[in-house]
Amino acid sequence: MSSVADSRRQVLDRIRAATQNSAATVEQVAGAYEALPRGYVRHGTMTVRARQERFIERLREYDAEVVECATEELAATIAAQLAASGRQKFVAPAALPAEWLAAGFDWKIDRGLAASDVEQCEGVLTACFCGVAESGTIVLHHSETEGRRVITLLPDWHLCVVRASQIVETLPEYFDKCSEQGSEGAREQRSREQGSGELPRLVTWISGPSATADIEMTRIKGVHGPRFLHVVVVEDRDQGLGTRD
Amino acid sequence: MSAVVEHSLTDRPVLDPALAPPFPVAALPVLRNPQLRKNVAHAIDVIQAKRAHLVAEKTDWQELRAAASAIKDEALAHLDAYLTQFEGRCTTAGGVVHWAADAAEARRIILEILREEKADEVIKIKTMTSAEIQLNPYLEAAGVRTYETDLAEIILQLGEDEPSHIVVPALHVNRSQVREIFARKMGLPDLSDEPKLLTAAARNYLRQKFLSVPTAISGANFLIAETGAVVIVESEGNGRMCLTLPRTMITLAGIEKVLPRFQDLEVMLQLLARSATGERMSPYTSLWTGVTPGDGPQKFHVVLLDNGRSSILASKKERQTLRCIRCAACMNACPVYRQTGGHAYGSVYPGPIGAILTPQLEHLRHAQSLPFASSLCGACYEVCPVKINIPEILIDLRAQVTDQERKTVGKFFDPMYVGLRAANVIFSRAWMFHAAQRMGRMGLKLFTRKDGWIHSLPSVGGKWTQTRDLRGLPKETFHQWWKDRGQSSKGAREHGSEAR
Repeated sequence: MSSVADSRRQVLDRIRAATQNSAATVEQVAGAYEALPRGYVRHGTMTVRARQERFIERLREYDAEVVECATEELAATIAAQLAASGRQKFVAPAALPAEWLAAGFDWKIDRGLAASDVEQCEGVLTACFCGVAESGTIVLHHSETEGRRVITLLPDWHLCVVRASQIVETLPEYFDKCSEQGSEGAREQRSREQGSGELPRLVTWISGPSATADIEMTRIKGVHGPRFLHVVVVEDRDQGLGTRD
Repeated sequence: MSAVVEHSLTDRPVLDPALAPPFPVAALPVLRNPQLRKNVAHAIDVIQAKRAHLVAEKTDWQELRAAASAIKDEALAHLDAYLTQFEGRCTTAGGVVHWAADAAEARRIILEILREEKADEVIKIKTMTSAEIQLNPYLEAAGVRTYETDLAEIILQLGEDEPSHIVVPALHVNRSQVREIFARKMGLPDLSDEPKLLTAAARNYLRQKFLSVPTAISGANFLIAETGAVVIVESEGNGRMCLTLPRTMITLAGIEKVLPRFQDLEVMLQLLARSATGERMSPYTSLWTGVTPGDGPQKFHVVLLDNGRSSILASKKERQTLRCIRCAACMNACPVYRQTGGHAYGSVYPGPIGAILTPQLEHLRHAQSLPFASSLCGACYEVCPVKINIPEILIDLRAQVTDQERKTVGKFFDPMYVGLRAANVIFSRAWMFHAAQRMGRMGLKLFTRKDGWIHSLPSVGGKWTQTRDLRGLPKETFHQWWKDRGQSSKGAREHGSEAR
C-alpha cells in the first residue's frame, strides 16, 4: 500500500512542478474560476407554448412518441398509452401517484427489486426531474417518483410523464434549476460547508431511445437500453388550464 | 470479398507507439486498400454533415468554445487542487480513489481490485484510456476474461482488430465484414448483413453478460471536482448497463478529465455530442457520485492515471493538448486521416489530436513521425470545441523532433543536416550567399529538361522530386532583376524608350 501513497505524492508533485503552483485549495483559486468568460446563451427567449412545442418536436426527431394532455386527463392518458403498447407487465417507482397505476395491468412496485425481476417487466412508468426543449432531453435524478436507475434501463418500453412546468428551454437553465432545487430542498439535510450537498448524486440525461450508428453510420434504434420511449406532456401551467376552462 | 480486405482484417494493426512502424510506412497498406478508404470516407462524410448542421444552429458556438477552453485551462492550471478535491468528495461519497503514475501501475491496481473481487470476467464500457494502457491483453494474460460491450468494440474484439477512431472505433469495417465476424464468433452462420439484425445479434450476445457479470470497467468523459461525480456519455445503453447492474465498478480516468464544477457540464455537454456524433445530446449521459445505497454498484473505484500527462502540463503551449474532450472532430475534419484512417498512426489516439498527444505521452521517445503526418491546413483547430491550436503544437513538436534527431551521431553526416549546417553559414554572409546561388543555378541547369521542369534530383533533393516536379529556375534572380531594372529604367528615362 505504501507504493500507492507514493504514487499519489509523485503524481501531485509532478503536477505542481509542471504548473509551478504550490499546493493550493479550490477555495484559494475560486477567484480565477469565477472570472472565466461565460458569454454563451444562458436563458431562452421562447414563449412558454413555443418551448413546449420545441421539446415535443425534438423528442419526435429522436423517434420518441409524444402525447399531450390536461392534468385531469393524465390518468386516462397513461392508461391509454399502456394499453396501446400491447404490454402487460410494468414496473413503477415506489412513490408514483396511485392514480397513475392503471387498473388491468400487472404492476411491480420497485422497493429494491432484483435486476432479474425488473428484467421480467415489459415496460416502466416514471416521472422526471426536468425536460430540456433545445435538445429534447429528459432528465432523471432518480428520486422516489423517477425510480432507481435499473428500472428505466432493463424494460424495453419507457413511458415518462413530463409536466409542462418542468420544461426549460436551454441546458444552462436546467443547471440553474438544479441549484434552485437544492436551495429549497436537500440543503437542510446536508451541511453547507460540504458545498456539494445540494447537487444531484445521480443523473441520467435521456435524449431519445438507445441507438447506435457503429455499422456504416446507419442509425439503429434500440441496442441495450429501452427501444421505445413514450412521453406524456401534462399541461399543468396556469395559462394552459385557463384556456381549457 | 476481395483478398485485400481479408488481409486487412486478419493482419492486426499495431497500436503500441513503441512497436508501430513510422507513419509513412504504416499508411502504405491502407492507401492500397480501396475498401478500407471507402469505409472511412463514408463514415466521416456522414458525421461531418450532421455536425455542420447542428453546429450551425448554435448561435453561441464560439462563446461556448471560448468558455470550454477557459474552463479546461483553469482545471489544468490548478490541477492539483481540483484532483485532491475530487478525491475528497468521491471518497466521502463512498468511492475509493487510486493514483497511478504510469500504465503499468494502473494495470496492476485494476488487477488487484479484480483479484479482491475474485472476478474472472469483467464487462467494459468503451474507454480509449484502457486501450492506451493495453489493459485487455494484460487482464486476459492474468486469467480475467474481458467483454467489450460497445457495438464497435465488440466488432473489434471479436474481429481481433484494433480501433481506428476514438468515437466510432470500427468505422473502417463495413456491414459485410461485421456479418462475417459475428457469424463466425457468435456461431450464427445464417446472420444477414442488415445493420439492424447485426445490432440485435450484439444485444442478445451481451444481455446475459450484463445481468450476470458482477464487475465492470469504464473510462470517464468528465470528473467533477466539486461533487466527486463521474460522467459518461454514450449512445447504446451498454454504458448504463455496466454502471448500474454490477456489484463493483472500476473507472479509469486520465488526470486531465477533471472539471472544477458540476455546472461546467452545461458547456461541455452542449459541445461534446454535437462535435462527436452530430447530435444535440447523446442518447444517454450518466452521472454518478461514489456509491448510492440501493442503486447501482455498491463498490466503486476510480483510478487516476498520469502516464505522461503531467509532463505535458509543463509547457504552456503544449498544455492545451490536455484540454481535449475526445470528440474526434479533428480527425473527421483532417484530410490526412481521411486518406489513411486511424491505424496508420500506430496509436489508440489517431488523427490530429493523436499526432500531438501520442508523441508527448511517449516523451518523444516513440511516434516521432506523427507530428509530420499533417498538411498544417488548420481544419482541426477550426472544429476543435476546446480550441486546441493543433497546428501550432505540431510545428513545435516537429522542431523538438528535429532538434533531438540532429544531435544523434548517425544524423551528423546525414546529407540533409550537412546541407542545413552549410546553409546556416552561407545564409549569414551576403557574398557567400550570392556565390552559392550562382553555383546552385549552374548545378540545377544540368537537371532542367527542355520543358522547363526538373523531374529528378539526386540525393536529398530526390525527396522533393520523388512526388512532385520542380519548376526550372528563371533566367535571373530577383536581385539581378531589381538591379538591372534600376539601370534599365534609368536608361529608359534617358532614352525615352523600352519601358518594361
